[in-house]
Amino acid sequence: MIISLLRRSLLGAVASVAFAASISVTPAFADKTLLNVSYDPTRELYKAINEAFAADWKAKHNGEVITINQSHGGSGKQARAVIDGLKADVVTLALAGDIDAIASKGKLLPEDWAKRLPHNSVPYSSTIVFLVKKGNPKGIKDWGDLTQQGLQVITPNPKTSGGARWNYLAAWAWASKANGGDEAKIKNFIADLYRNVPVLDTGARGSTTTFAERGIGDVLISWESDAFLALDEFGADKFEIVVPSLSINAETPVAVINENAKANGNEEVAKAYLDFLYTPEAQKIAAHQHYRPSDPTAADPADLAKLPKVELVNIDNAFGGWKKAQATYFADGAIFDQLYKPTN
Amino acid sequence: MADYAFISGVKARNEIGESKIIRRVLIGCAIAFLSAVLLFPLVIVFTEGLRKGITFFLNGFTDPDTLAAVRLTLLVAAIAVPFNIVFGVAASWAVTKFNFKGKNLLLTLIDLPFSISPVISGLVYVLLFGAQGWLGPWLRAHHIEIIFAVPGIVLATVFVTFPFVARELIPLMQAQGTAEEEAALTLGASGWHTFFNVTLPNIKWALLYGVLLCNARAMGEFGAVSVVSGHIRGLTDTMPLHIEILYNEYNFAAAFAVASLLAGLALITLILKSLLEWRYAEQLAASKRH
Amino acid sequence: MSVSVSIRNIAKDFGRYPALKGVSLDVAPGELVALLGPSGSGKTTLLRTVAGLEFQDHGEVFFGDINADELTLRERRIGFMFQHYALFKHMTVMDNIAFGLRARPRGTRPTEIQIRSRVLDLLALVQLDGLEARYPAQLSGGQRQRVALARALAIEPRVLLLDEPFGALDAKVRKDLRRWLRELHAKTGHTTLFVTHDQDEAFELADRIAILNQGMIEQVGTPAEILSHPSSPFVSDFIADVSITAVKNPNLTWLRNKGKVTTAA
Repeated sequence: MIISLLRRSLLGAVASVAFAASISVTPAFADKTLLNVSYDPTRELYKAINEAFAADWKAKHNGEVITINQSHGGSGKQARAVIDGLKADVVTLALAGDIDAIASKGKLLPEDWAKRLPHNSVPYSSTIVFLVKKGNPKGIKDWGDLTQQGLQVITPNPKTSGGARWNYLAAWAWASKANGGDEAKIKNFIADLYRNVPVLDTGARGSTTTFAERGIGDVLISWESDAFLALDEFGADKFEIVVPSLSINAETPVAVINENAKANGNEEVAKAYLDFLYTPEAQKIAAHQHYRPSDPTAADPADLAKLPKVELVNIDNAFGGWKKAQATYFADGAIFDQLYKPTN
Repeated sequence: MADYAFISGVKARNEIGESKIIRRVLIGCAIAFLSAVLLFPLVIVFTEGLRKGITFFLNGFTDPDTLAAVRLTLLVAAIAVPFNIVFGVAASWAVTKFNFKGKNLLLTLIDLPFSISPVISGLVYVLLFGAQGWLGPWLRAHHIEIIFAVPGIVLATVFVTFPFVARELIPLMQAQGTAEEEAALTLGASGWHTFFNVTLPNIKWALLYGVLLCNARAMGEFGAVSVVSGHIRGLTDTMPLHIEILYNEYNFAAAFAVASLLAGLALITLILKSLLEWRYAEQLAASKRH
Repeated sequence: MSVSVSIRNIAKDFGRYPALKGVSLDVAPGELVALLGPSGSGKTTLLRTVAGLEFQDHGEVFFGDINADELTLRERRIGFMFQHYALFKHMTVMDNIAFGLRARPRGTRPTEIQIRSRVLDLLALVQLDGLEARYPAQLSGGQRQRVALARALAIEPRVLLLDEPFGALDAKVRKDLRRWLRELHAKTGHTTLFVTHDQDEAFELADRIAILNQGMIEQVGTPAEILSHPSSPFVSDFIADVSITAVKNPNLTWLRNKGKVTTAA
C-alpha cells in the first residue's frame, strides 16, 4: 500500500522532469533568431551593430524580422560553452585561439576558418592600454612603471580571459624589446608585474568593475575599448588613459559555427551577419565604440582621432601565432604558471 | 502531566532565571549582529535600486531582457519547487517509514547538493548532457535541448534545491514515527487517504517551511545555473545572472532594481510564511504538542 | 459479531534474530486473552502479525474460518489500539473516531449524519460525552486511551488488539481503567487480545493468559491454572510477584496453601 503510493509519487516526479525537458527555447516573437556568442567587453558594440543589421536585413528581405540573441562572458569560457553545446550560429571572440579550440575540440567548423573572411576574419581589433586615476598620481607612463614596489595592478586571469592573455603578451613584447630578447630578464619583469596583482578576476569586465567601481588598485591593464567605456561611464574627471610605448594588435576574430548554423537553418543569415561587420556602416559603429576598424576610411574621423597612435606588435610575428603562444605561455605548467605565485 | 494537560494558550513565563541585564545584552547582541550582517546590506540593495528615483527604478523593468529574466526565474521556480515537493516528500517517506538496503546511501545523496559546490552541480550536467558529454550526441540526434536551455536550468535548480524539503521533513517524520500511519491503515484507510489525511497534516508546517526555503533558493541560485545557462539574454538569463550582467554593464541602478525585486520576492515568501503561521497559530500549536 | 482467532505455527525473523519461533494459540469468540511476557519475548510482534502490520515468514492466522492472509489490511477489520494511542493530533476527537468510517470506499460509507451519531454513541460508551470537539493535546492520558479505543471500535472490528493498553498511564489511573475495560469488554463482547508486560494487569483482566518467552509460548491457561500449575521454571519465576488482589477468580485454597494470600484477600 505504502509502496504503491511511493511508486506513484516517483512516477509523478519522472513525469515532471519529462515536462520540464519538453519545454524548448523558442521565442514566439521573432521570424528568425540568430545567436551570437561573444566575449565580455563587446556588449555595447553588438547592441549597436545588431540594431543596424536587423534594419539592413529587414530592408533587403521583404520586412523579415530578425532577432539577434547575445551571450557574453570570458572568451575562453564562451568557447568552452560552444564546444559543450551552446548553439551559437556565430562566435565573435577575443582571440583566434578560442575559435581554434571550437574547431579542433568541437569539430563544429573547419580548421581553416580564419581564411574565410578578410583580414584573417578580423573585422575590427583593439589594443591594450592602461587606465589610471585622474592626474596619474603614481606617474605611470609605460610597462616598466608597473613593477614599482607596492603598486597594485589589476588584470584578469589569463587562464580564463582572452583580454588577460593579450595583456600578458603585450607586457612580454615590451619587455622583450626593452631587454633585447633576454628571456631571463623578461621573465623577471613578468614575475615582478604579476606580483603586484592583488586579485585575478575571471573576465576583463570583472577587472574593470573591480578597478573602476570598487576602486581597488592603482592601474588597470585593459582593452582600449573598455578603458574608453569606463571613461564614458564614470566620467573623464575620474580616470585617464595612459598609452604605453608598445602594445599588441589584439585581433578579435569572428566565425560562423557551421554545424550549428546548419542545424538552426541559419547558414545564410549567419554569413550575412559576419559580412555585415565589414560594411562601412558596421565599421563606423565599431570605431564609434572605440574599436579599431579594419577599414578606417568608413569611420568618423572624430572617432579615429580618439584612438591613440601606438607601436603595435603582431601575434604572428612576435609570438608565432596563437597555437604556439598558448602552448608556451598559458598551458598548464607553462611559463605563466611558473611565474605567477598567488600572494595569498 | 496527564490529567492536567489541558492547555489553552501559550504560557509566557521567564523560564530561565537569567538576570535582566544579561538578557538585554544577549538580545542586543543578536539584534546588532543581524542588523549589521543581514538588515543593513538588504537596505543598501533597496536604496541603491531607488537611488535614481522611482521612475528609474520602474524603468529597469521595461527592458524586455529584464522581463524575460523575471519570467524565466518564476518559471524555473514553478517547475523546480513542485518537483522538489514531490521528491522531498517521497524521499522523506521512504527514509523514515521503511527500512531498506541503501537507506544511508539515499540519505547521503540527499545531502550531496549541500556539500558540493553549485558550480560542480552545474558541471555534472554539462558532462552528462553537453555536446561532448555522455548523452550529448544522442540528444543532438533527437533535437532535444537540455544544456544551455530552460530544461538545463531547471535541472540544475532542482539539483541544488532538492535537500531543502527533504531535510526539513526527515527529522520531523523520524520523530513522529509510523504509529499514526499504521493506525490509519488498520482503520481501513488507503495509502493515499492515509497520506493526505494523516501524514500530510502532520508535516505541513515543516513542508511549508521547506518549500519556502526551496523557493527562495530556486529563485536565487547563481552558481549552478550560471554554468548551464549559456547566458543568452532574453532567453536563458535568470534574475541572478541578469543582475550580474547589468552590474557588469555599469548599469548599477538597474542591477540594484532587479536585485531588490529578487530580495523582495524572498521577503514576500517570508511574510507569507509568517502570515500563515499567524493565521493558523492554534492548529500549529496543537500539532506540535503531544 | 465475535469471531475466534486461530494462530497457527507463526514464525518470523527480524534479520538474523528470530522474533517468533512457531507460535500457536486459539482464542474463542468473545474471549479476552493476555499476551504476557518480558520485553523482547515477541508478544508485540505476535499482536502486530495478527493485525497484519507485520508479515509472518511461516504459519497462518485465521479469523473464524477465514485465512487472514487473504485479506487486505482494510478487509481484516482489526481494532488496533497502539501503545501511545497514535491519535491523529491534528484532528478533533470526533474526527479521530470517525476516521475509519470516513475512510471507507464511497459505496459502503455511512452518511455524515450516521457517522456523527455513531461517534456520539461511542463517546457515550467510553464515557467521554461532550468532548468531541477537543484535540488530543487537550485530553488527559486516560481520556486519550478511551478515544483510541472508541476509534478502534468505530469500524466494528472482528477482533480487538490492544498493545500495552495501560503502559502510558500512571499507576492510579491504570487501576481504574482496568476495571472499566473489563466492564466494557463484558458489554461489547469483542474477541480481544492484549499485550502486556505487567503480570497484575494480565491476571486481573484476562480470561486466559499466554506467557511468551524468547519467541515461544511457555504456557496458556486461565489465571488460576497458571498460578496453580506453572508449567516451567520460567513461568513460576515470572509470576512470582503477582499480587493476589489482582487475580480474577483465584483458587484461593491453593493460594492460601502457598502462603500467597493475606487476610485482606
